[in-house]
Amino acid sequence: MKDPGIENFLKNLKAPSPDPAARLRAKRTALAEFERGHAANQEIKLPAEAPGPFQALLKKLRLSREEDSHGSSSMKWYMNRGFLAGAAGLCVVALGLTWVLPNLDPYTRELTQAEMPSASVPSSAAKLPGEESADAAAEAPAEAAARPLEQVAGTSTPAPELKDDAARSSYEARVRDDARLTQELAKARADARQEQEARGAMGNARAPSAPPSPASEADEVVVTGMRAPLRAAMEMKREAVTVIDALEYHEEGRDQFGHFDNNPVQRVSDAPVSTFSADVDTASYSFVRRQLNDGELPEKDAVRSEEMINYFDYAWPAANSRRSPFKPTVVVSDSPWSKGRKLVHIGIKGYDVDRGETPDANLVLLLDVSGSMNAPDKLPLVVRSMELLLDSLKPGDTVGIVVYAGAAGTVLEPTPVREKQKIVQALRSLRPGGSTAGAAGIERAYQLAEAHFRKGGVNRILLCTDGDFNVGVSGTEALKSLVERKRAKGVHLSVLGFGEGNYRDELAQALAQNGNGVAAYIDTENEARKVLVQEAGASLFTIASDVKLQVEFNPVTVSEYRLVGYETRALMTEDFNNDAVDAGDVGAGHTVTAIYEITPVGVEPQSVDEPRYDGNRPENRRENRREKRAPEADGKRDEYGFLKIRYKLPGEQESKLISEPIPLRSGGTSSAVKRDVIFSTAVAGFAQLLRGGIHTGALTYDDVLEQAQSSKGEDRFGYRAEFIELVRKAREAGR
Amino acid sequence: MDDLALIRRAQGGDATSFAELLDLYYDTIHRFAWKWCGHAANADDIAQLACIKLAGSLAQYRFQAAFTSWLYRLVISCAQDWQRSQVRHEHAELPEDEPAAGANAAEESIYLMQLLDQLEKLGEGMKETALLVHAEGLSHAEAGAILGVSESTISWRVHTIRKHMARQEARAGTAT
Repeated sequence: MKDPGIENFLKNLKAPSPDPAARLRAKRTALAEFERGHAANQEIKLPAEAPGPFQALLKKLRLSREEDSHGSSSMKWYMNRGFLAGAAGLCVVALGLTWVLPNLDPYTRELTQAEMPSASVPSSAAKLPGEESADAAAEAPAEAAARPLEQVAGTSTPAPELKDDAARSSYEARVRDDARLTQELAKARADARQEQEARGAMGNARAPSAPPSPASEADEVVVTGMRAPLRAAMEMKREAVTVIDALEYHEEGRDQFGHFDNNPVQRVSDAPVSTFSADVDTASYSFVRRQLNDGELPEKDAVRSEEMINYFDYAWPAANSRRSPFKPTVVVSDSPWSKGRKLVHIGIKGYDVDRGETPDANLVLLLDVSGSMNAPDKLPLVVRSMELLLDSLKPGDTVGIVVYAGAAGTVLEPTPVREKQKIVQALRSLRPGGSTAGAAGIERAYQLAEAHFRKGGVNRILLCTDGDFNVGVSGTEALKSLVERKRAKGVHLSVLGFGEGNYRDELAQALAQNGNGVAAYIDTENEARKVLVQEAGASLFTIASDVKLQVEFNPVTVSEYRLVGYETRALMTEDFNNDAVDAGDVGAGHTVTAIYEITPVGVEPQSVDEPRYDGNRPENRRENRREKRAPEADGKRDEYGFLKIRYKLPGEQESKLISEPIPLRSGGTSSAVKRDVIFSTAVAGFAQLLRGGIHTGALTYDDVLEQAQSSKGEDRFGYRAEFIELVRKAREAGR
Repeated sequence: MDDLALIRRAQGGDATSFAELLDLYYDTIHRFAWKWCGHAANADDIAQLACIKLAGSLAQYRFQAAFTSWLYRLVISCAQDWQRSQVRHEHAELPEDEPAAGANAAEESIYLMQLLDQLEKLGEGMKETALLVHAEGLSHAEAGAILGVSESTISWRVHTIRKHMARQEARAGTAT
């Protein structure tokens, strides 16, 4: 943009017209404040101006009210402050309380009421506006006085799903309490009016202004709806209010990663078969990128080489039918980091479903709106990401929204994407606050997804979180088994991680793996676009499940091998043919790439020395004796090994097998494939360097840079350019 | 309806008049808040704070300066309070929140934010001076009255800003 000169720029600057909702909010809050201020003035002035008998009358009125009020302590509190001051105080306390009632955030409520009339909202919210809102205001201080805040949060959760009788009866008791309070409030209000009239009757000419207008009373609950930072600003000014301040939340390097060791170099004579599960997650790459962009090297356990490699789309030829959803591409090349060794690339690209033929989707967004999500790269990015997702769905697909924080609640019943505005509205009304009850949220999301289950369609929960599930029944195992049970019923789960400092990578991984979904980490809007728009098919539509790979190496041609990455995905040899063993899913258009480094027979040095004693030689060991056949007898000197892939088509129970030999020389590969072999090698090298570089010899970041630059290709979305930038940053950070 | 009469009635405690006053001036408050921060949602917050503050301090308006001038000062002080609270709670701005009201508007908003940032770095009162003089078209004397500094201080600030911006432009010119 050309600089128009700041004077002209400012002169011609047109401010956008203010948001009507914000305008309404401001007006209501200010009016409440106005009335509070004027009421307080009167109360202070009153004793001086009122003659003795008037005071006596007032006192009498007050006493009689207290007798009438069933001795409720909250009523005393309420009345002792005088009605008008009390009403304003209510507003303040309600403001504090809403802080711990995120699913009932009145702002959400207000928007929901005003602009999404048919949307379902939590039951207690659904009564607005009118009398009940004033009742809700009354409820607030009373409950605050009677119970700890957390319990208040609990009582305010909507009524349904109370399974056991005890819970129901206590809920009903509370409802009765509330009803009683409502009556008391009504009475108190009438009394307050009497008081005013009495004042008027005493001929106090200066007192009468600012009667409590019914409209402003009804509005007071709504008044509390404002953006979180503003609440904080206001609370600073009102010392009288004690609030659980979720904004004081601080994050320091609490990201949790499961530890794992690098895959070791294996002697073919010891363990000729290598088995692992396909992995299409990419969370690790985004996390590494984020750390590097902050100028730090990521911790080693955060670097999962296979996720780094699989972040990129490679030119492996795609299969062309849904029935046999992928075909493997095997390419052998020289290892750039150790002379004489070879790299074996195994690439599979899932069949890409045409957007038109995608099955209908029933998505439930499960969004973490806890206090820790209050950062620009968390909730606002979640909202933005979900909006992007809407663009990649079909009009008939439905999206529901469940939020969880201190409590869980449904913000939006499944709504067709053609009513996009409604969904966007609901998303934009979300505000962070409170702690994180992930478990309750997941349960509710499953209920919603099951209630709107689409047979033959995609039924999936998309969990967006910064990772914590720290309230309620949140044992990782219990959660995992829940996710697994629901998967069996056809509702799958994907996890999208956001933010930094609190991210529980391991848990996200575990949940997504058990739920047959992907775990992706979203740190920028670009990343959201990649995961949710460009790869929407891959993230949402499974074309093959339980995809397992197995490679048997040929001892005649290979002495040692090492699989780069997939440490957390290793399977036992016998798991390969066991269809009951779960493995990764591959979505439409996904690419999965695995790289083995192999040492051909005769290449020195070998990582593992030859045994000195004949008895230790594998062919002489007892368990192998029966196999008298000399390896040479196989006659397969032109193969490094044999690749087998097992997968199940969606909905099928029995696996299918694809197999193909790994030839010594791979001929006939296209230039695009050759280029991408180099690029994936660069990524693999980079990942291994970040993990400590124990298997990469003299490889440096500069070598990686060179490889990546030479194989950047068209790079339509700039992902590879970004990778090159990251390598530079790692080089700087490592100095 | 006479604004001044309305203000008097509101000062006397009449809620209806105060509500009317808010209706009349909210747009001005919001516009100024938006220019001060360049961000719609933040402007909503600042405007809301200003309205609340107005409720409490309207009585202090003595009809000596124009009401809008008095209002500007109030909005500026709310905006500064707001900014301090943001720093205290370590909230970055939330540009993702910005509704995409056309590419042009977004570009303008981004440029404004950059500009405001630069002005802020120039020194205290620079941003407010530029906004009052250039964006609101007030005289140096009026701006001085609002900001509580002399007319010549405003003139000096305007000059400094102009010089700085010219230097920036020259630098940008040689860089490209």
